[in-house]
Amino acid sequence: MGTIIKVEHLIKQYDTYKRGSGLKESVKSFFHREKVPVMAVNDISFTVEEGDIIGILGPNGAGKSTTIKMLTGTLYPTSGTIDVMGYNPTKNRKAYVQQIGAVFGQKSQLIWDIPPIDGFRMNKAIYGVTDQDYQERIDVMSKLFGVEDYITRPTRVLSLGERMKCEFIMAMLHQPKVVFLDEPTIGLDVIAKQRIREFIREMNKRGTTFILTTHDLEDVEQLAKNVVIINHGEKVFDDSIDSLRKVLGAKKIVQLVLQKPCEDLDIEGASIVERESELNITVSVDLEVVSITDFMAKLSKKCDFYDISIKEMPMETIITHIYQRKKESL
Amino acid sequence: MKRYIQIYKECIRVAFAAASTYRMNFFLNSVIMLLGDILLPLVTILIYGSGAGFEGWNVYEVLLIQSVFTMAMAIADMSFHGIMWATMGAVREGNFEMFLLMPVDTMFLLMAKTFSIDAIGLFLGGAAIFIISLTQIGMPSLLMWLQFLAMFLVGLMVMMGIALMMAATSFKWVGNSRIPEIFDSLRSFGKYPQSIFPKTVLVITSSIIPVAMIGFFPAAALMGRGSYLMFAAIIPCIVFLLLGIILYRSMVRLYQGVGG
Repeated sequence: MGTIIKVEHLIKQYDTYKRGSGLKESVKSFFHREKVPVMAVNDISFTVEEGDIIGILGPNGAGKSTTIKMLTGTLYPTSGTIDVMGYNPTKNRKAYVQQIGAVFGQKSQLIWDIPPIDGFRMNKAIYGVTDQDYQERIDVMSKLFGVEDYITRPTRVLSLGERMKCEFIMAMLHQPKVVFLDEPTIGLDVIAKQRIREFIREMNKRGTTFILTTHDLEDVEQLAKNVVIINHGEKVFDDSIDSLRKVLGAKKIVQLVLQKPCEDLDIEGASIVERESELNITVSVDLEVVSITDFMAKLSKKCDFYDISIKEMPMETIITHIYQRKKESL
Repeated sequence: MKRYIQIYKECIRVAFAAASTYRMNFFLNSVIMLLGDILLPLVTILIYGSGAGFEGWNVYEVLLIQSVFTMAMAIADMSFHGIMWATMGAVREGNFEMFLLMPVDTMFLLMAKTFSIDAIGLFLGGAAIFIISLTQIGMPSLLMWLQFLAMFLVGLMVMMGIALMMAATSFKWVGNSRIPEIFDSLRSFGKYPQSIFPKTVLVITSSIIPVAMIGFFPAAALMGRGSYLMFAAIIPCIVFLLLGIILYRSMVRLYQGVGG
């Protein structure tokens, strides 16, 4: 398994127009508009190994979607190089997109007025899939997703979750080697999300490489092996998900439900991060200072508790820390 | 090539499926388009009925020109005019990448995917006036038919060129839905005998924006009233289409999408 995607010093800058609010500003903008350059992606480099699932994380407007669009060849970079399977996405577009798939959570390939199965047939013609391959793939993916019952119903009557499953089938019909997913679980319920994650895992086992942008950290935690974090168009983290968890050091979160209020919770290496009530307390434990066993032993000497749960540091906390660290360094 | 034919066949199938889903909408669209465009021949009949007319042209000759124009419009509406609205909409809403992601020519795909049978009523209406006019004028020779077919195809090229140029502008001026109306007005020059216009207009309609090829020149060929200008206009028409294709392809690079 070698490197399948190599991105070097990718930059995307575009111009937009600044306009104030109100009638006066609207009238003024008819005659003069101030051009404002926007650096959507600023010098991003990363690599993706074949068979990997990589998560691209970042807040709104960070440049995730712009990066994905440049990787799919639908946006031209201002500068920098992209190599996907030996292709430059902006050159020889047709040959390149034949090898990739894409699902954009907020855009659809399905045809609204007709059933998804007719949309699949359209993609079969567009990608030149043979009758035999088409039937085999439809059968396999329909069963994986459990969509056999509704792919013959008009798209407009399907739920968002059902439509999204059909979007995945549409994008995977031609068996792409690399699939780009931009917010694929946006707006879906827990069950639909889980089904989609299972599908991605199954397809990944069969050799498909996935590049995923999402706001849903559970997507990344459950699927991705490696993570790239982008903020304000710049890469702020690029490593494995395990390394991401260690950004704040080896820490665990301990949630306590006490039997009675406890005044003295001072234990070396432990600090209270949230006190919901006198009896519900969340503590962060630095494992480099105190082991969980020692912490528990010391804690049980100080107070009695009904319940205790030990968790990993929430991903949100780690990422917020990364964003803040970058902000402070500027 | 085989793949492109297959795609086009699929698109036609989808267009029929969509039309059958909203049958009432399809019937209403067909009737409204027919009524809207049939007004022109009615006005022509009224003009001639009141004793006025276009000098040198009888009512059936003018109706023939207008019916050819109507049929060309109907074919364009069915097969490639959709690219204008589809491009404008996709650029404004940021969905254009869904077309760029397909491993086929984007221009072709947009035209194929917007194939619509709504204009079938318009085509049938135009064809009916065409047949009536022709029966009054007299049957053309085989050579005239061949010239007519060639000119008619070249006229469609002009319309395709216009549609592509209009569509291309939306990459630069997002949401420019009124620009096509300017070209609609220019295209209208093609529905009248060109001899009624001043020479300057004639030069424009036959060589700069060759809209005369949409209705007038093919009809003139069928009536045996063609001139050297008609044949000379073929070259600017082809250039016009090529310019449309080149402009569209180069403007696609300006596509920026919308915020993710």
